[in-house]
Amino acid sequence: MSDPQVQAVMRGLIKVWMDFAVELDTVPLIDKLLRGKFRVEDYQKLLINHRQQVIEGSRWIARAASSVTSDYTDQRSLFLKHAVTEHRDYKMLEANYVSIGGKLEDILHAEKNIGTEALHAFMYQRATDPNPFDLLGAMFIIEGLGQKKAGEWGGLIKKQLSLKDEEVSFLLYHSANDEDHMRQFETILTSGILNIDGMDKKIVKTAKIVARLYRLQLEELGNV
Amino acid sequence: MNNVYINGLGAFLPGNPVSNAEMEDYLGCVFGKPSKYRSASLKQNQIKTRHYALDKQGRSLHSSSGMAAAAVQAAMKNSEISLENIGYLATSATLGDSLVPGLAAHVHAALNIKEIEIANFQSVCASSLMAFKSAYAQLKAGEHNCAAVSGSEFASRHFRPGNYECVDAYKAVGEIPFQADFLRFTLSDGAGAAILETKPNARQLSLKVNWIDIRSYANRFDICMIGGAVKRNQDWNYWSGFGDPIAAAHAGALILIQDFDLMKRMLPVWVSHYLDLIDKGRIIIDEIDYVCSHYSSHGLREEIIVLLKQAGAMIDEDKWFTNLYTKGNTGAASIFIMLEELYHSGKLNKGEKILCHVPESGRCLNGFMLLEVV
Repeated sequence: MSDPQVQAVMRGLIKVWMDFAVELDTVPLIDKLLRGKFRVEDYQKLLINHRQQVIEGSRWIARAASSVTSDYTDQRSLFLKHAVTEHRDYKMLEANYVSIGGKLEDILHAEKNIGTEALHAFMYQRATDPNPFDLLGAMFIIEGLGQKKAGEWGGLIKKQLSLKDEEVSFLLYHSANDEDHMRQFETILTSGILNIDGMDKKIVKTAKIVARLYRLQLEELGNV
Repeated sequence: MNNVYINGLGAFLPGNPVSNAEMEDYLGCVFGKPSKYRSASLKQNQIKTRHYALDKQGRSLHSSSGMAAAAVQAAMKNSEISLENIGYLATSATLGDSLVPGLAAHVHAALNIKEIEIANFQSVCASSLMAFKSAYAQLKAGEHNCAAVSGSEFASRHFRPGNYECVDAYKAVGEIPFQADFLRFTLSDGAGAAILETKPNARQLSLKVNWIDIRSYANRFDICMIGGAVKRNQDWNYWSGFGDPIAAAHAGALILIQDFDLMKRMLPVWVSHYLDLIDKGRIIIDEIDYVCSHYSSHGLREEIIVLLKQAGAMIDEDKWFTNLYTKGNTGAASIFIMLEELYHSGKLNKGEKILCHVPESGRCLNGFMLLEVV
């Protein structure tokens, strides 16, 4: 990654990520986790609110893929592949929820909270634009969460609630498996999409919006 | 506006280097037992030798102000000025000698020079850069032509057993927690100083100060490293509010502690500050020849290194210069002691650039200074 334009985008994304990572710690539920005061209800709340996000995740990636024009077929393939690897992840999340005493029908029928609504409304709107490669900014934030925060939170939840690995598998699995996704991310970023006028700035701005909306989703747990 | 140059650097390290095995000969054993966390602490900080201003009976052989004055004297001797040229003195330390007045007054007195302007900076490690920045700004604005800046620490006197053995909570369990004990095996004593002028040296290399950039993130973080307060039910209780100092000591309000989990969570904002300076064009990676960081590169996790490489922001490890492992972590004095050794190493050439970095976990602060060899 010696291209200065790619490096500048990476710097922008890392800055957004770093600010986001610190701000996440102040979200009431995460603050509680870091204080060592987590309850099983808190874990249930986190899972139930997260399910919609996970389901929608692979859907908006698929939508974005369908908005990619024929000038960028290689990139479209990568988007599609990515959607496939994630589109059944929510099953694991549901199993975790049930394993800690949650009712399957509760999680199946849970409504999106207002933060999740805002996040996904934005994602779908962007995914409908032609060649929406600025969604790489969104992927950087969401993959970053999977790779760095999910494992940290999963470990703390497991310890504080004395759970078994399989009861926290969604969070732990994500931190172990998202490295490939970051490699795919690099491939797309360096594939020539930055030649699209203004795309470098747009990627960073989309990351910023998604980081804010993602935090909103965690702040509004249960607010439907 | 004037240009500002570091024209002399000096260090004062008390006594002989103390090896890891000898540390408790000076610090003593709390509750009469060797420390439980000694080897874990040393493994983490990787320090091999350091200096103490105590003798083996725990008696103070120096003072923080005395060590600072000795470092200013040494810096002066290595420069082309005399002490009487100094018009401004800025001192820095985590803890000075007295609660009142500030350390700068004591250092001025110890230097025994005519009346000058002084300023006292007290925080944690980055108080060094605060003092540097004030001297830089004073000289730049033309208020003075010559300034001395010092950083000094006498941490070990706070690490003697008596400080801990009066704390009720520690007495009850017969030991002290890692967050207090780690610092005993990490921080040590010494002082460093720099002479700054508005013109470069005539006969030897100078380090031109290109800029100093300091940012506090205290708005985002709880207290991470503190001495003088103790947390009870989520609230910090300051030592002066206990009715009498003995009650404060019993409550543990006089112990220096650090929250490691919180410190780890500060790394992102430090990295973000660094990337921001690259984007603003203040730091140009290819131009940096030396990095003098108070944070060691082994503390950076692999994932951060990968990200920094992708962002074109990683400075090769062979450009990192440090003497933390041999001269100890001397808090506010460290950056001076590092620069002093680098300057006198004979390695520096005109045109080279040195990036100095001092993060501070106290309540999250980060500072950079860019120097150019002229």
